[in-house]
Amino acid sequence: MLRFENISMVYRTDSVETHALREFSLDVEEGEFVAVTGPSGSGKTTFLNIAGLLERFTAGRYLLDGKDVSALSDAETSRVRNEKIGFIFQGFNLIPDLNIYDNVDVPLRYRGFNAAERKRRIESTLETVGLSSRMKHLPSQLSGGQQQRVAIARALAGNPRFLLADEPTGNLDTQMARNIMELIQSINMSGTTIIMVTHDDALAGMAKRNVHIRDGRVSDDGSSVQLANVATA
Amino acid sequence: MEFGPIWRAMMRNKTGAILIALQMAVTLAIMVNAITIIQERAQAMSRPSGVDEPNIFYILSIGFSENFNERLAIEEDLAALRAMPGVANAIQTNSMPLSGGGWSMSLQTEPGAGIEGTGTALYFIDEHGLDTYKLNLVAGENFSASDIEWREPADSGWPQKTIITQALAETLFPDDWRSALGSTVYINDDQPMTVTGIVERIQAAWNGWSGVERTMLVPQHTLFGSTNYVIRAEPGMRDQLMPQVEELLASNNKDRIVRRMRTMDETRERSYRDDAAMIKMLTFTVILLLLITSLGIVGLASFSVSRRTKQIGTRRALGASRSAIARYFLVENFLISAAGVVLGAGLAVGLNMLLVEAFDVDPGSLITLVPLAMLALIVIGQMAVLGPARRASNVAPAVATRTI
Repeated sequence: MLRFENISMVYRTDSVETHALREFSLDVEEGEFVAVTGPSGSGKTTFLNIAGLLERFTAGRYLLDGKDVSALSDAETSRVRNEKIGFIFQGFNLIPDLNIYDNVDVPLRYRGFNAAERKRRIESTLETVGLSSRMKHLPSQLSGGQQQRVAIARALAGNPRFLLADEPTGNLDTQMARNIMELIQSINMSGTTIIMVTHDDALAGMAKRNVHIRDGRVSDDGSSVQLANVATA
Repeated sequence: MEFGPIWRAMMRNKTGAILIALQMAVTLAIMVNAITIIQERAQAMSRPSGVDEPNIFYILSIGFSENFNERLAIEEDLAALRAMPGVANAIQTNSMPLSGGGWSMSLQTEPGAGIEGTGTALYFIDEHGLDTYKLNLVAGENFSASDIEWREPADSGWPQKTIITQALAETLFPDDWRSALGSTVYINDDQPMTVTGIVERIQAAWNGWSGVERTMLVPQHTLFGSTNYVIRAEPGMRDQLMPQVEELLASNNKDRIVRRMRTMDETRERSYRDDAAMIKMLTFTVILLLLITSLGIVGLASFSVSRRTKQIGTRRALGASRSAIARYFLVENFLISAAGVVLGAGLAVGLNMLLVEAFDVDPGSLITLVPLAMLALIVIGQMAVLGPARRASNVAPAVATRTI
């Protein structure tokens, strides 16, 4: 479903060249729950940004659902993000001036659904995350765990092909983190592919497959999936 | 279009938006009324005086010696002036259109005291008057040489004939202004004068007078000690003639002085100097207000983009295209502008009513001006927000995953 083929990412300034990813290759199959771990500066966030089409890479090829997305225009990239990818951010990234209903509505409006369809999806996903009674609340009126549930509802509302989670429990206490992870696991069990970036080994252990990154390369892939690139570091 | 969420989001953070909307409202109210005043003044300034302004100039002659024979001097001066090469015609008169100083009398169509007359400006001319001013005679006939009398300062009588302007005829005979020709009008309550001609237009000396085009021409030379000679030059000869005329009059008679030679162009410029200054000042004020309002919009939108960089990145990550982000800020600004101009329209009408009542300002055509001003302000507002909106659309979606 998602294939990275020898992807490199180099950040350049006038005097410095930083290799964030070096010929990085990875396959993720449909329905997988992959935890991507690694130390700070290993390239986890760069991998997440490229996987989520938030950033363009320097070299290599990225196939999403078998289609090369390397050369899509900005509008096409935006559409693919909207239709196929759901994001869960460490800081929740809810829009503070919008209530819960309107927050979940944001990607659905970009999708072009009519009002009735949007309403159905919003109510359904908020029901799934247990927040259907809080639709008119503002994010600031919810706890951190509840805000992350809203963010998950927003990510799920468009029925994406996979979810990208960036340290989804990083801003939560232990109990809330457990609840969120259970929710993410249940979403995966219902068939949604999940790629989660984390530095927490305990959380990574809840995933079906662990990929460890070091110096911009996959250094360890604890899965049965055949790797296109074996760590060389 | 996401009007609803944008409006709701804006209402949760509304101080800046309200201030900009109020600024737009005040700008619109002032702009509309300033334009109304500018239009009124410009319209007044563009009214024709009725005379051949580009070719006419005039000069004041003042006798000072006991030996000064004013009647003889006038006869000799006019003969000399009319004989000069380049002079189309010349007359002696008491005042000039738009000059700021002149005579006015009251005319009425029935004799008797207590009857409310019509205020009328008055110029004394001879049979060369119509040609010198190049007036358009629309009915009747010019004065003849035998009609012209001499008037002393103490004289209270009036000649038999007068030529009046069409505007005066319309006021005196509102049912049919042409019926003024041949009719008797009364001056000084009961002294009859017969209207023997009607000219299209010659303005009075006072541009701010509501009856500026109500003028009568009287067939008399005046012997008031000082007098104006009006000279119409052949086309293109005016500037060359002016020093020659001054020299001629100065040397013709040493018992008087000549001074204050002016063209009609200069007279018009002096007459409307305050109006022109007011137009400039109001135009500057309107431009300044528009500039300040535009900068306010740019400032608010720029602040909004900076404050919401993470939010914009998140929207991009969730599928917003660059154009969708730019559109968000344009719509947001449109909503603020729309609220501002609707409020401003009310303020503009209120301020207009106040000005009309307090300063007798022409109410103008608010029905067309207010919608036009509303549209203009919205367009200016949208143009002002283009830069910040474009900057917002360039926020990278990867900003969404940054933690600082």
